[in-house]
Amino acid sequence: MQLLINALIAGSLAALLASGLSLVYGILRVFNLALGQTVLIGGYVAWWLFDGMHLPMLVTILGGIGAGALVSWLTYDVFVKPFYRRHPHLTLVTTIALGMMLDALILLVFEERPRSIQLTWGRTLEFGGMIIGVPQLFLVITTLVLLCLFAFLLHSTAFGRRIRAVAQQDTAAMSLGVDAPSLHRLILIMSGVLAACGGIFIAIDQNLSPTLAFPLTIKAYAAVTAGGMGNVWGTILCAYLIALLEQLVVGVHWFGAFYVPAGFQATVPLLFIIIFLLFKPTGLFLRASRAA
Amino acid sequence: MKRTLALGALAALLLAACQPTQTGTTGGTSSSQASVIKIGYIGPLTGDAASFGNDDLHGAQIAVDEVNAAGGINGQQVELIAEDGRCNGSDAASAAQKLVNVDHVVAIIGGQCSSETLAAAPIVEAAHVVLISPVSSSPDVTHAGDYVFRNYPSDGLKGKALGTYLKKAAFKKLAIISENTDFCQGIRSSVAKDLPSGVTIVFDELVDPGTKDYRSLMTRLRKADFDVFLANGQSDATDAAMVTQLRELGMKQQIVGTDTADSANLGKIATKAVEGMKPLSVPSLRATGSGSTPADAFVRTFRGKYGEAQQSMFFAALSYDATSVILRTIGQVGMDGTKIKDALYAMPPYHGIAGTFSFDSNGDVIGIPFAMKVFKKGVLMQAELIPIESSAMTESSSSIQ
Repeated sequence: MQLLINALIAGSLAALLASGLSLVYGILRVFNLALGQTVLIGGYVAWWLFDGMHLPMLVTILGGIGAGALVSWLTYDVFVKPFYRRHPHLTLVTTIALGMMLDALILLVFEERPRSIQLTWGRTLEFGGMIIGVPQLFLVITTLVLLCLFAFLLHSTAFGRRIRAVAQQDTAAMSLGVDAPSLHRLILIMSGVLAACGGIFIAIDQNLSPTLAFPLTIKAYAAVTAGGMGNVWGTILCAYLIALLEQLVVGVHWFGAFYVPAGFQATVPLLFIIIFLLFKPTGLFLRASRAA
Repeated sequence: MKRTLALGALAALLLAACQPTQTGTTGGTSSSQASVIKIGYIGPLTGDAASFGNDDLHGAQIAVDEVNAAGGINGQQVELIAEDGRCNGSDAASAAQKLVNVDHVVAIIGGQCSSETLAAAPIVEAAHVVLISPVSSSPDVTHAGDYVFRNYPSDGLKGKALGTYLKKAAFKKLAIISENTDFCQGIRSSVAKDLPSGVTIVFDELVDPGTKDYRSLMTRLRKADFDVFLANGQSDATDAAMVTQLRELGMKQQIVGTDTADSANLGKIATKAVEGMKPLSVPSLRATGSGSTPADAFVRTFRGKYGEAQQSMFFAALSYDATSVILRTIGQVGMDGTKIKDALYAMPPYHGIAGTFSFDSNGDVIGIPFAMKVFKKGVLMQAELIPIESSAMTESSSSIQ
């Protein structure tokens, strides 16, 4: 059972990062490889406001989110918009370049030593043999609330309907009066906000270090790929699923005989995904009819 | 007059610009070049490890300046030529080539990173030039060559030191989680090799470099029966994640760490979780700069010239000691590499500012101890010194400080 809690914590982080990313891919067909850096900047700004400026937690979180939004706005207008219409793969190069620049910026501004946000209410709760820290419980619940909000926005509002319209057919939506370009910008900013939340998550749960960015991006893309490219729900479910697999791989005494060495924690779930995609290349949750 | 000076300065600048690498010169003008004794320095002057690379260079420079101010060695001034080894083998090898073949240095201080020292070793060995590394800790340096010395204890001895601690504290069941890197693997195998009788390793897991999610490993660890945990991470970032998630699951056992946990920053990013954690590392320099010992004088000079040490004043002190030993030995036996080497092996314990030390038959240091530190309210304190018995020595050698 403890493994389930562990998976919930790890999965929440992955889901935060991957859901925005999946939306961006689903609509713009753009890979944002500077995502990890956006995450770090959100986290680092929050850390700086909390630890350096001694501001209350709420302001800190808003500041971090603001920074994430700002970075993704810049990402869209400078590094994505001028290029993605020519060829979607151009943005692969431009966002990698942006990522490198942001890496250097993070090193320069926040230095290379790790940072963390330490909450004063860092107690742990125990019920029925399961243990979870209060900050972690807060993080898991906040993530679920955020993702539900995200779902509500996407499926039950006029704004969400416009997004889905753009996702299905860009030009047709535009001819019906949907302002697709500014929606694109908004979507990227939304993914930046979710990424920044992920960064704050990391700062509270673990610690931030400048080398973290690229592995984060990779992990988020694993969930995006497994969930069916561009399928937001599939992506979120897969993020939790991969996390659960990771915990099961090292946490379970397999067949009562052996433990899988911890070094395989990240590889085994990805292997699963690859094998699965061999048989169902559209991803775990994408129906074939929608793939076209 | 002013114009000639300016022109001269320009010419000097141009000449300096033509030189392929940076040279830190002291004293010696071009007219006295022939009678200058050249000492090389290899260390990371740029990049991630530049903090201690520069600390060590400054330590060595102070030793050279002091000798020069006192009239040099038998009337000859000493020049320190610094090369950037960038904490990697290939840069360190070309630095060593240049120092040995172009500058014809008498001896080399460095490298600082183990990879630098190991790459420079075959070059100095072939040229019969003595090399002392102030801070390289890799077990491989022990057998790197006859002309290769170091005054930093080998990681290969860390297992023994940890064993000494475990035995003294009466711990019986050790749990280890290690990151899969050269450094951590070296410590892991050293601990396994020198485990004292009665102590068993009950949990031993290896994780991918950079892992931050240890929750399921810790869930398993909680079911294991252990009384002491070794957090063997490559950086304080992973150490922090390990100990935080261990404490989160309510485990109260003693935690020990390695050099990477000897970090003031760790106390800041995981204040509660590291309370009582004991990093096993080298001592801190006790001198604060206010006393009257030679070490205090060194700290004062260092701060006056270069400000606070970027990484560790103890590292700078080791570099100062290494340089002082070399310069003193040159004064005694002259500039022949083989004679300097023999004199170093035969050297009686030298009273340096980092400790009193000599070299064993492998060129490893005897006398610089390990130290067990402890976190109290997020701040590192020195708890106890753990003397080292060198693997090559049979007699005891625990005369420290």
